[in-house]
Amino acid sequence: MTAPPLATLINELTKLPGVGAKSASRIAYHILKRTAGEAEALAAAILEVKSKIFRCSTCNNMTDVDPCAICGDPRRDPAIICVVEEAFNIATIEQTRDFRGVFHVLLGALSPLKGIGPQDIDVGGLLRRVQGGGVREVIIATNPNVEGEATALYLAQQLRPFGVRTTRLAFGLPVGGDLEYADQVTMAKALEGRREI
Amino acid sequence: MILTRITARNFRNLADSPIDFHPATNLVVGRNGQGKTNLLEAIYFLATTKSFRTPRLASVIRFGESSVYIAGALRRLEVEKTISVGLELGEQRRRVLLINEERVTLPTYVSAMSVFAFSSARLEIIRGAPEERRRFLDRGIASVEPSYLDALNRYARILKQRNALLQSGSATPAALDPWDAEFTDAGGTIQKVRGAYTELLARKFDAIVAEHGYHLRGLRIDYRASSADDLRSLRREELRTRVSLSGPQRDNLDFTIDGRNASEVVSAGEQKMVVLFLKFAKLELFREKFDEPAIFLLDDIDAELDLEVLEKLLSRLPSKTQVFATSAKERFLAALEAGAHRRLTIENGRVAVTRDFP
Ligand SMILES: [Zn+2]
Repeated sequence: MTAPPLATLINELTKLPGVGAKSASRIAYHILKRTAGEAEALAAAILEVKSKIFRCSTCNNMTDVDPCAICGDPRRDPAIICVVEEAFNIATIEQTRDFRGVFHVLLGALSPLKGIGPQDIDVGGLLRRVQGGGVREVIIATNPNVEGEATALYLAQQLRPFGVRTTRLAFGLPVGGDLEYADQVTMAKALEGRREI
Repeated sequence: MILTRITARNFRNLADSPIDFHPATNLVVGRNGQGKTNLLEAIYFLATTKSFRTPRLASVIRFGESSVYIAGALRRLEVEKTISVGLELGEQRRRVLLINEERVTLPTYVSAMSVFAFSSARLEIIRGAPEERRRFLDRGIASVEPSYLDALNRYARILKQRNALLQSGSATPAALDPWDAEFTDAGGTIQKVRGAYTELLARKFDAIVAEHGYHLRGLRIDYRASSADDLRSLRREELRTRVSLSGPQRDNLDFTIDGRNASEVVSAGEQKMVVLFLKFAKLELFREKFDEPAIFLLDDIDAELDLEVLEKLLSRLPSKTQVFATSAKERFLAALEAGAHRRLTIENGRVAVTRDFP
C-alpha cells in the first residue's frame, strides 16, 4: 500500500492535464528524492502564481502587472491584434518571434454542446478594442478544429461592420488539430500565409 | 497484408489462446452456436474496429467483462507487423489502436489490414434502414480512402454542435451562420465523395453481374444526397423541429427495380446474391487502387446462395486474397476446397486445426 501522504500527492498530480496514474507516481517519487528546499520552492511557486497572477485588463493574458508585458511594450504594434482561445496559446505564437502585434485572449471557443455561446467568451472585449480605433488588422488564431473554425467565422462576421482587415492563420495542421502542438516552423508559415476571411 | 495469427481476449465466446491461419484459404467448420461467425467477426473487428453484425460494439464483449482486446500478426513478403485494438467500455469509452506497439490514429490503423465481409447480416444493406446503406457506402469509401474517416468525424462533430445549438433555443441567425458555413462545407465534401464512389460501385456491380450471366431484372443503384439548395429556407422548419433537416446523415442509397424498392421485388436468395456481388465490386475497387492482398470473409454459406456463381466469383479473386469461410454444412464449402487451405474446427469457442491441404 502507498503511504497516505504520498497517495494524496499522486492523486493531486493525476488531476493535472496530460498526467496519467503512471506519470503522477513517477513525479511524486521524483519529488520525494529531491531536497526539502527544492520541494518548498515548488510549493511556493504554485502558491505564488495563484496569489500574484491575474488577467490583463486589456487582452486577458495572464500577468502580474496591468497592462501585461506585451500590451505595455512600446515596441509592439497595437494596430495588429492576434486573437487566441487561451492565454497559453500566446507562447506558441511568440516562439516564432515574427509577430510584433498584440493579443486578445477569448477565454474559450464557441461550443453549443458545452453551452458556450458568444456571450460566454470575450468577443465583447475584442469588439470594444476595435471600436476604440487604431486597429488595422485582426488575425484570428483560434484552434484549427471544428469549434475554433466556427469561432473564427463568428468573429469575422462580427468584425465586418468595422471595416478592419480580418485574417485567419493558414494551418498546415491536420483538421481537428490544436494550436498548442504547432512547432515554430509551422506557426511561422501559418502566420505568413494568413488569408482574409 | 495476410493475417497469420490472432489472439483475442474477452471477445464473445472465443477462447483466449492464439489461432494460426493459412495464407490462402481458411474453412471454419463446427456445429451452430460454437463460434464460427464470432471468429470471422473478430477478424473484422481487428481490421476495422467495428462489427459486421451489429452497430452496438458493446455486444462483442464477453458477458460480465468491460473490455475487449484483439491482436493480430500480419505478413507481406518479408514484412511483419503486429496490430491490436483494445476497447474499454464504461464511463469513458477508451479505444487503443496499436501498430507495432505504437499508438496510431484510426485512419492509419484501418489501412494496415483490408477486410471485406459477406454475411447474411449484411442483407440489411438491401432491406434495413437507410443508416445501414450509408454505413455500407462509408466503409467502402474508407477502404480506398482512409482519410475519409477524418472527414466523417469532422462532419459528425459539426452536426452535433449544430443540433445542440438548435436545441438550446438560442439559435439566432448570427449564431447559426458560422456553424452553417462549416456544415455546408463538410457535408458537401462527404456527399461529393459518396456520389462518385456510388457511381464507380454501380458500374463495377453491373459488370460483375453481367459477366456471371446473373439476372437481376435491371436493378439500379442510385445515391440520393440530402442537400438543401438554400439552408436558410430550411431554418424556420429546423428552428421548430430543433434538429438539422438536411445533410449526409439523411442521405440514401436506393436499390430499385422499375422504380420499386428492390427488397419488395427480389427473393431473399437474390438479395444475398446482390450483397455478394456488391462485396466483390467493393473488393475490385480496392484492388484497382492498391496492389495489396485483401482479406475476404464469407460468413454462413448456405443453400440460398447460388453456389455455382460463388465458385466462379471465388476463382476470379486475385491469387493473394486470403479467404475465411464458414458454413453449417460442409458440402457448401466444397467450392473452396480445390486450392491450398486449412480446415479449422471450432467447438465452444476453441479452435483446432483439423487438416491442412496440401
Ligand atoms: Zn495584455
